[in-house]
Amino acid sequence: MSKNLKQKLVAYGMVLPAFLVVMLTVAYPIVSAVIQSFQDGSTGEFTMDNYTYFFTDTAQRNNLLYTLYIVVVTVVVAIVVAYLLALYLRFVNSKISRAIGMLYLLPRFVPAMCAVYAMITIIRDTGMINRIGHLFGVNINLGMMYHASGIITMNLWFNIPFAAMMIAAGLGGIPNSIVEAASDVGAGKLRIFRSMILPLSIKDVIVAATFVFMSNVSSFTTPYLMGGNAPKMLGIVLFDEFNRYLDYNRSAALSVIMFLICSVSAGVYIYTNLKENDWEKN
Amino acid sequence: MKKIGKVKRLFTALVACIMIFGMVGVTGCNSSSSSKNDGKTITIWATGSDNVRQIYEKLVEDFNENSEYAGQYTAKLQFMLSGTGTQSLSDMLASAYKAKQKDTDYDLVDLSGDDLSKVISQIGEDAFVKLDDSKIPNAEGVSAESTIATDYVQPYRGTTVVLAYDSEKVTNPPKTWDELTQWIKDNPGRFAYNAPGTGGAGDSFARTAVYNYLPDEAMTSDDTKWEDQWDEGFDYLKELNEDMYTSGGSIVYPNKNQGTLDLLNQGEIDMCPNWADMVLSQKAEGTLKDTIKITQIEPALTGSLQSLAIPKFGSNEKGAYAFIDYMLSDEAQEIMVQDMAAIPLVNTDNINMKGFEEIKNLDVSKFRIMSIGDLSTDFNQRWDSEIGASK
Repeated sequence: MSKNLKQKLVAYGMVLPAFLVVMLTVAYPIVSAVIQSFQDGSTGEFTMDNYTYFFTDTAQRNNLLYTLYIVVVTVVVAIVVAYLLALYLRFVNSKISRAIGMLYLLPRFVPAMCAVYAMITIIRDTGMINRIGHLFGVNINLGMMYHASGIITMNLWFNIPFAAMMIAAGLGGIPNSIVEAASDVGAGKLRIFRSMILPLSIKDVIVAATFVFMSNVSSFTTPYLMGGNAPKMLGIVLFDEFNRYLDYNRSAALSVIMFLICSVSAGVYIYTNLKENDWEKN
Repeated sequence: MKKIGKVKRLFTALVACIMIFGMVGVTGCNSSSSSKNDGKTITIWATGSDNVRQIYEKLVEDFNENSEYAGQYTAKLQFMLSGTGTQSLSDMLASAYKAKQKDTDYDLVDLSGDDLSKVISQIGEDAFVKLDDSKIPNAEGVSAESTIATDYVQPYRGTTVVLAYDSEKVTNPPKTWDELTQWIKDNPGRFAYNAPGTGGAGDSFARTAVYNYLPDEAMTSDDTKWEDQWDEGFDYLKELNEDMYTSGGSIVYPNKNQGTLDLLNQGEIDMCPNWADMVLSQKAEGTLKDTIKITQIEPALTGSLQSLAIPKFGSNEKGAYAFIDYMLSDEAQEIMVQDMAAIPLVNTDNINMKGFEEIKNLDVSKFRIMSIGDLSTDFNQRWDSEIGASK
C-alpha cells in the first residue's frame, strides 16, 4: 500500500460512520418519501393524485395560501424591524442601546412552549390585556387567538431577535472608518446608508430572511396552539395527514411540496453566497 | 511502522464502535426475553403517560411493602411511556404469542380499551388465562365488565368523558342530550369541544353525538357499513356549529383536551366535554377554579375501563392473581382516586374520597364504551372537512 492510499483509507474510514448515519437517517427517508409521494396508497401504482389533491382541493389550497401569507408577512415585518434594531444597536452608543443589546437575545433562551403559552395568556380574549382594560372599564377583545394575527405576532417574537442577531453581526463588520470618511466628504446620513451600509449588509439581510422563511414554512408548535381549525398552516396539515388520517402517501407529497417551497429560499441563500465569492475575487 | 500502528488502532476503534452499536441494537430488541422465575417475582407490564407511571410505581411499592401479599411476592414494573416511538405493548404481546414463546416475564399486562381490542383482534382471547373469580376475592363487589373478552380481563379503574361546567354561570346543568342541545342554542358562543383527533374528549363528544342516531351495536363495530348512517349525526353537529365558541370572528374548536379546559377556566366558555379525571385532578392541584363542576348526561358520553390480563405465556399466574386482587383492594383504589381521580370500581364506603366526591355520582355500570377502530380515521377526516372547515 502506498502512503497516499493509506492516508486516503484512514480519511474515508473516519468519514464513513457519519456518512452512513446521514445516508440512513436523511438520504434514505428523503428518497423513500419522494417515491411514496408518487404512489397510490392502496395499489402502489404511479399517480400524481397526491400532488394534485393539495392544489385542487379548496380547503388544501387555502391552507397553502394561508401558510404563504403568514410566512411572507412574518419575514417582511421581522426583517424590517430587525434591520432597524440592528442599525440602532450598531450606530447608537448609549446606555439604552447597550441594555437592549444585551436583552434582545433573551427570547432565544426561553423554551418555545413557554413562550407560546405566555403569549396566549397575554393576548387571549380573557388575557392580561383584556383584564387591564377592565380596570379602566373597557372590554378589549383582541380576537388574536385562533387567528393569523396571533400566529404572526408569536412568529415575530421568535424571529426578530434571531434576524437582528444575524444582521447585527454583519453590520459589526462595517468599519467605522469608512462611515466617517464618507461623512467627511459631505455625505448625508441617508446617503451613507443607501450607498454604503445597505450594500454592505444586504447579504446578511437576505440570509436572515431565508432562514426566517424556512423555519416558518414548517412551523408546528405556534400554529398548533394558537391557530384555528381552518385554514391551517402546512405543518399542521402534515401532522393531520400523517397522524390523524394515516395517509402516508399524501403526507409524503406534502413533505415534498414543503421542501420545494423551502428550496426556493435555499436557492436565494446559495445564490447570495456565491455572489459574494465573485465579488471577493475582484 | 508507526503509521501502520496508528491505522490499526483507528480501525480497531472503528470496529469496536460498530460492535457496540450492533449490540445495543440487539439488546434493544430482546429486552422482553424470558427470565428465570422463582415463583416470587411478578413482572407487570403497563403503558400510558407519565402520571400513570407514577401511580404504578406507587402501587407496586405499596404492594411489595404494605399489602397482604407483602413478602410473599415481589412485583416488578416494566413501564412503557406512550408516544415515545417504542414498540407498543400490544405489538410486543402479539409477537411473543405468535413466536410461541413460553415462560416469558409477561406475567400480568395492563391494557386500555383500545389496546385490548387491538390485542384481542390480533391474537384472540385464548392467549390469556380465563380468569377464575375465586382467586380474586376483592372482585366480588365489582360490577363493571369489559365489553371485549369479558371473562379474560379484570377491569380495575375507569374514567369517562363528562360535561365540565362553571357552576357560577350554569346553575341548572343539562341532564340529557336534548337539554344540552337547547342550552347550547340558548347560550351561543359559550360551548366548545376540542377538535376530534386532538384529544379524547372531543372525540367522545363528536362520536357520541353521531352514534346517538345509530343502533347500540354500531358503537363497538369497525364495519364500514355504519359510515353511511353518519349523515344525520353530522347534520346535528353542523347545526350546533354556529353556536360554538368564537374568537377573532370565526368558530373555533381548540386543539387538545386542555385547550377547551383552559377556555372554561378563563371564563371564555361555560361548558365543555372533558375527562372526569383530568378535571378533578386539576381541581385538586388548584389549577382549575373551584366553581368548575362535572356532570354526566343521558345518554352518556363515552368512557373507558382499564383492565388487567394474564397472558398464558407468562410465568407467574398465582402472583398475577395476587396483584389483580391487590388492585381491587380499598388501599389500591384509594391511591388511584387520590392521585389520578380514577373512578373506583369497588364500593367507596371505606375509601377516602375527600376532594373527589363528584366521582361518586359517576356510575360505571352506565359507562358507554366505544371502539370503532379504523373508522375513526374517516370520522376525523369527515369532521375536518364538513365541520372544522365550514364557515
